[in-house]
Order: sequence, then C-alpha cells, then structure tokens
Amino acid sequence: MAQESGQNLFEIAYPLFQRIHDNDFEYVYRGFFDHSITKKILFLADTNIAKVTNQSQATLQKRIYYIMVEGLQNITHHQEEIANDKDFDKFPGIFAIQKNGGRYYISTGNIVANDKIESLKSKLDVINSLTPDELKKFHREILSNGNISDKGGAGLGLIEMSRKSGNKLLYSFEKLDEEFTYFYLQTLIPTDASYGTPDGNSHHPSLESVKALHRQMNTDNILLYFNGFFNQENLLSLLAIIKSRMNSMPLTTIKISNVMVEMLQNIIKHGHKSDATGGAGISGVFFLGQMGNETILTSGNIIQDAAKDVITERLEFVNGMTKDELSDYYDDILLDFDTADAKKTGLGFSDLRIKSDRPLKYKFLPVGDNEQFYLLQTSVKTKK
Amino acid sequence: MEKFIREETEDTPEIIFDPESGIFKISKISVPENALDFYRPVLDWIKQYAEEPNVQTQFDFDLEYVNTASSKQVIQVILLLQKVAEKGDVRVRWFYESIDEDMKALGARYKKLVSVPFELIEIDE
Repeated sequence: MAQESGQNLFEIAYPLFQRIHDNDFEYVYRGFFDHSITKKILFLADTNIAKVTNQSQATLQKRIYYIMVEGLQNITHHQEEIANDKDFDKFPGIFAIQKNGGRYYISTGNIVANDKIESLKSKLDVINSLTPDELKKFHREILSNGNISDKGGAGLGLIEMSRKSGNKLLYSFEKLDEEFTYFYLQTLIPTDASYGTPDGNSHHPSLESVKALHRQMNTDNILLYFNGFFNQENLLSLLAIIKSRMNSMPLTTIKISNVMVEMLQNIIKHGHKSDATGGAGISGVFFLGQMGNETILTSGNIIQDAAKDVITERLEFVNGMTKDELSDYYDDILLDFDTADAKKTGLGFSDLRIKSDRPLKYKFLPVGDNEQFYLLQTSVKTKK
Repeated sequence: MEKFIREETEDTPEIIFDPESGIFKISKISVPENALDFYRPVLDWIKQYAEEPNVQTQFDFDLEYVNTASSKQVIQVILLLQKVAEKGDVRVRWFYESIDEDMKALGARYKKLVSVPFELIEIDE
C-alpha cells in the first residue's frame, strides 16, 4: 500500500504541474497550525507574492498579507475551540495560497464542531449580504459594542477579509462524522477590478478545486505541496517550515532538510529555465509526505531531452552501488578537484542515495517539444 | 595579517579568522547556491595565512547544515590547513550535535581523508 501511495504522487504530479502557468503558483500546507508555522507560511507566501507584484501593487501585496493573517488566525482560533489535539491529527487542516493570472485565492480548511456550523453560516451570510458601505458600518458597530474580547467571535476577522478583498466570502461545509465538519473558506483578491468577483455560490470551481486538493493530500498524507518557481529563497523558507513542522523529531528534521536542499538545488541548477517566470526561478512541483515510518520527498520539473540519459546514467550508477562502494566513491569525488563543481560530478545524487533509505526512484514523461517531465523521489526513515 | 570576518546569512556560514586572538571558526549553516564563489576568498585567505601562520592554530568547524556543493569546498579548507601544518602546529575540531548523525558522518569522512590532527567532538543540545 505504502509503495502504491508513493507511486501515486508520480501520477498526480504532472497534471498538477500543468495547471500552473507562467508566473502562477500554488502552495498548500496541511497539518497542525501554531504561531511558529503561521509565521513561516506568511513569510514564504509573502516573498513569492513580492516576486510577481511590482511597486505599484504594494497595496495589493499588503491586502493579501492581511487576509492571509486573518485566515491563519481563523484556523488557530477554531483549533483552540476544540480542546482535543487528537481530533486535529485525525482531520488535519489546510492553508492554500494560489495565484491564477490576475486572481489570488487564499483558502483555509479546518474542522469545526457540528453544532458551530449554523452560527458560522449565519455570520457569513450576513457579511455576504451587505454592500461595502453597510459592511463598514457593521464593522464599526461591532467594534463599539466592545464585543471583541472573545477572539473575534463576532466575526470581525471575516468582515475584514471581505472588506480587504472587496469580495464575497466563499465557504463550504463537508461533514466528517457525528462530531466534526470541515469548514472551507476562500477569499478571492483580484489584482484589478477587471478580474471580477465570485457570486457567493458555495460550489465555485476554485473552492471545489481546493477541496479536491485537500482530499488528495489527506489520501496521500502530504504535508506540504509546492507548485511554482523554485529558487534559493523559497528553498530557505521551506526549510524553515519543515523545521517548525517537525520540531518533535529533530533527527528526522535534519535528514529531511539535508535531502531537500540537495533535491531542490539540483532542480534550481539543472532544471530547464523557462522565460515565462522572468528569472524568478525554475518551475516545478514538490511534495513532502509521510507513509508509515517514512518521509517521502518528491520533486518534478521540466528538463531537456538531452539531459535524460545523463540523469538516468547517474541515478542507475548510485542505485547500483552498495553503501560502502558509494562511500568510497564519495571520497573520490570530494578529492577530485579537476571537476570543481560538485553538481557536475554526481556528488548530489550520491549524497541523496547515502542519506535516503532506499534506492532513488525516478521517472521521465515525454512532454512535447524536446522536453521531459522529470520526477525524483527519495525517502527518509522517521526516527524520534 | 588582517582578520577575515563573514557574518552568517540565511544560507552561508559565520566565519571568524583572527590570528591575533587565535580564533579560527566556521559555523552555522552552509547551503549557498554557489559555494564556489562564497569559498573562493576564504580559501585565498588561508593560502596566505599558510605562508606565515601562528605557532599554534586551532581551527573549529561547528556547522549545522552543509550542502554537497559546500562539502567540496570544506575539504579544500581542510587540505589547506595541511599546508598550514607544514609551518605550524594545527589542530582541527569538528563539532556536531549528538543527534546529528549526518554531520558526524561528514566529519568522520574528512578525518579519514586528511593527515592533519582532526578531532570529532559531540555536543549535547
């Protein structure tokens, strides 16, 4: 089963990669939310938004940031309401930021107790029924009622999300069991008015796609899904997220971080540069997931046809060696200074194979003009 | 000789080479995209130091993360310390956190490959 699940990522990676174009991206975090994670998610998202917005869009960038903060606080607020952490482990929440052309979508999904649904729904319906002016008035009323002590229980956060985005809030409830329901909330922020607003219909395609993504991530136990451009900055932000996410398992965190650095720097160095991202990085997908006692790291990116044979040869070479042989080989390359660039010698692959607990898995999909979609998967055993 | 100081960044290590106070230390994180460029001045400095080193040089590595591109540069640093050892007494100390078996393994690898006195030191978190 575990084997199949890792294989499954190879199947879903390319369709996901394909749906993201040019300067677009989607980043999804799934799991437990706390202050430290929240801060790092904000940082990652904000750096990426900064890359694709220009100076004149400073207000837009601020608005998106603000809405992300409200959305993340909304999740932690709901988490606090439910005292038992076990329920969150059973039904992990998600936070997603997506950019699709001129539209940004901030989505959250988290469990709420079934008996909270009605009041939540009525708050949202009231907010969605108001005009911008009415919303402003409503906001002021709640503030002056001094009713904000119960952590925005009056819906202040929701009002602000709606006001800042200039849009209705999309929401949806998915019942899980007798106790809990997934509550999905999505805010659309258009980069300018021409990108329109949703009609408040809870079966909006963008919200449905986030729900589908969440289901997929629950099925494959994916903790982090990253689809967009890779560069050193993103890599460092991802490292920080992993460090926070896994702080209960320091040894595993170190291993995963080491492996991730090699995998992603390999993409950054060798991936096929598309002009479309304007130098922001190399487009690719990355998943971090867990299967049984293994952490599975999967990456996918475009390479030129010509690179396929070289990569295959190197991967087969390191996969074909015993760990001792590989270790000797590693020593040789370390001392081989004629090829000064570590990336050209296969040091990265050797390192990945040494640190990973099984042979490196890979796959190539021919995708159009002289290009291949190159998938690589490594695995690190979880140790406490 | 002039000190060589680099403050740590998100992806490059803190470096202190100070012959006067006798502190030689590379620490924190080393995962730059371009390790070659980052380490070039570092290697140049040690090359120069090897001409006229202190009577005793204690050189410390206390690294948390090292990418493979950097690992290849770090071995060059250590090989240069062998040169320093031709004119002075050199001791290398490689610190690693007790839980970090990868950093321990890297230290052990270096120790095996070089002739300069090289000590692996485990530190508890």
